[in-house]
Amino acid sequence: MSVEVRNITKKFGAYPALYDVSLKVGTGELVALLGPSGSGKTTLLRVIAGLEFPDTAEGRVLFHGEDVTDMPAHKRRAGFAFQHYALFRHLDVFENVAFGLRVRSRRTRPREAEIREHVERLLKLVQLESFAKRFPSQLSGGQRQRVSLARALAIEPQVLLLDEPFGALDAKVRKELRQWLRKLHEEIHVTTLFVTHDQEEALEVADRVAILREGRIEQIGTPDEIYDHPATPFVYDFLGNVNLFAGRAREGAVIIGEIKIPAPGMTGGPETPAAAFVRPHDIHVTRERSGTATLAARVRHSHAAGALAHLELERLDNGEPFTVQLSKEQFRQLRPRLGERVYVELRNVRVFPEGS
Amino acid sequence: MKSAATPNVVSGVRHRSPTAESPFVRWLLIGGALLFLGLFLVVPLLAVFAQAFAKGPGFYFKTLADPQSLSAIKLTLLTAGIAVPMNCVFGLAAAWAITKFTFPGRNILTTLMDLPFSVSPVIAGLVYVLVFGAQGWFGPWLNAHDLRIIYAVPGLVLATTFVTFPFVARELIPLMQAQGRADEEAARALGAGGWQTFWRVTLPAIKWGLLYGVILCNARAMGEFGAVSVVSNNTQGQNTVTLQIETLYKDFNLTGAFALATVLTFLALITIALKAWIERKETTLKL
Repeated sequence: MSVEVRNITKKFGAYPALYDVSLKVGTGELVALLGPSGSGKTTLLRVIAGLEFPDTAEGRVLFHGEDVTDMPAHKRRAGFAFQHYALFRHLDVFENVAFGLRVRSRRTRPREAEIREHVERLLKLVQLESFAKRFPSQLSGGQRQRVSLARALAIEPQVLLLDEPFGALDAKVRKELRQWLRKLHEEIHVTTLFVTHDQEEALEVADRVAILREGRIEQIGTPDEIYDHPATPFVYDFLGNVNLFAGRAREGAVIIGEIKIPAPGMTGGPETPAAAFVRPHDIHVTRERSGTATLAARVRHSHAAGALAHLELERLDNGEPFTVQLSKEQFRQLRPRLGERVYVELRNVRVFPEGS
Repeated sequence: MKSAATPNVVSGVRHRSPTAESPFVRWLLIGGALLFLGLFLVVPLLAVFAQAFAKGPGFYFKTLADPQSLSAIKLTLLTAGIAVPMNCVFGLAAAWAITKFTFPGRNILTTLMDLPFSVSPVIAGLVYVLVFGAQGWFGPWLNAHDLRIIYAVPGLVLATTFVTFPFVARELIPLMQAQGRADEEAARALGAGGWQTFWRVTLPAIKWGLLYGVILCNARAMGEFGAVSVVSNNTQGQNTVTLQIETLYKDFNLTGAFALATVLTFLALITIALKAWIERKETTLKL
C-alpha cells in the first residue's frame, strides 16, 4: 500500500503548519518525518489519518492511488499511534487491542473466537501476552506504547502512522524500542510513517527520512544521503554533530582564517560571507604545521571516555570553538595538553552562502 | 524519613514539619470548625427528627401516610423524574459541544449556562409566569388550546429544570476538557463511528462525573422551593414536598411539617453518602 500526499497546505489561524507539501511513500516503506517542534510533521501525519483536512482543494491524500481526501478517519483504516498513547483507560490491554475489531459492522466483525486469536497473536508480537488483563494505568510507558502499536495493528491498517512513538520514554527504553520497531517492520512490512524530532532515531530506523522545516519538506532521502549530502545548512545543522566555520566566499573558493578551500558552488563576484560545515571526524589534528593549508587552534578540553576521543578546540584567530573526533589510537599518539597549540586540516568541507 | 510527629531524638529538640502549627493553634482551629459544624449542621439535623417525632411515631407515620403527603411525594418524584433526565441529556450535549468543538458563540454558551445559578429561583419562576402565564406572551394561545403550564405540573417541571440546569454540564466540562480529544481520535482512527465513539469511549470515561452531576441535580430538583412556589397555585394535589411542608407549617402543624421534612433530610443524607462513594471510586480508578 503506497501513500501519497499532494500539495497539502494547512493553517491553524494565521499560523501555517504545512505549506504545499507533497510526499510519496512506497509500499512497505518505513519513512521518518524529522524536524524541530512546530515544523508541521505531526500535522502531516494527522492529515494522512483524516484527523485534519487540507485547507485547499489542491491538497489531496491518496492511498494506493485512490483519493481518500474526503473519506472520514474511521473509514481510512490508517493505524495511528499517538504520542501519549491515548489508550482507553476503562478497558484492559486485551480490550484496547480488540477495540478496532469490535466496532466493525455486524457483517464484517470477526467471531469472538477469531477476535481472541487475533488479539492474542498481536499481544505476542508486541511481547505483552501476560499483560492482557492489566489496565493501562498498571503499565510502564514502554508497555503502553507497545499496546498502542498492537491496537493500531489490530485493524490490519493500510498504513501505520506513529506520532513521536518513543518521545515520552527514557533514553534506554527508547533505544530498545526503536530496534524493536525496525525488527517489527521487517516482519510485518506495513507501510509506515513515523514522526520524530530525534535525528539519531530517524537515521537509525527509517528507510528514508524527510526533513521538515516550517511546514515545508527541506530534503528527503535515505539516511546515508541525508547525512553525507545535506542539501541545506538547516539540514546540516539539524542533523547535528557538525562544526560551523564562518568565512568569506570569493571566486569559487572560501577563505577561513589563513586557509583557502575550493568551493565550486560559489560564483565569482563580490566577496560574500559564507558558512563552512565540517563533521568532527573530518578534521585532522597535528602538533606541527604541515605543508597543507592548516588552521591554528588551542586545546580547550579533551575527553576520551567511550570508543572515540573528543577534543574541544578554539580557533586562534577569532576564538570560534569547534569539536574534533578521533580514534583512541590517534588520541594516544597526539597526547594533547590543555592550552596547547595545534594545527587542524579540514576535509570534506561543505560551503553555503550565509543566510541561505 | 521520620514522620512529622516523631521527635528528633538526636538533637534533643522536637522538630515540627514546616507547615504544621503549634498544638494550641491546631486545637483552636479544629475545635472552632467542629463547634461551628455542630451548631449549624448537626443540631438542626437532630432538631428535624426531634420535632418530627414530638407526637410519637404513630403521628409521624400517619402524617407520611396522609393522602396529601403521598401526593406531594409523588409530585416531587414526577418533577425530578422528568427534570433530571432532561438536564442529564442537555448537560451532556452542552459539555460535549463546548469541550470537543470550537464554534462561534461557544463562550457565550459557557457563560449563559451559569445563569440559573446566578438568578434567584423566585425570578426564574416569575419568568415562566411572564412567558406562559394567563397574561404572558403565550398565555392567550395556550388558553385557546386548553393547555395549562403555569399553576400545573408542566410549570413545576419547567421551573425545576431551569433551576437545576447547570449541575450536569458544570460537572462534565472540566472533566472533558482535561481528557482532551485524543481518546476520541484514537477511536475514530480505529474505525469507530460517532455513536460508537460516544458509547464506548466518551461515556465510560465520564460516567462517574456524570453520575455525580446527576445526584447533585436530583438533590436540588427535589429540594427546590422558590421557583416552584411561584408557578404552583398551592392547591391540594398541586404541592411538591417542599410546598406541602410550607402548607403544613402555615397551618400550625409543626410536627407534621417536620415529619415530611425528614423525607427530604433522608434524601440529603443518601445524596451525601452517594457523593462520598463516587468520589472514592473516582480517585481509586483515576477516571
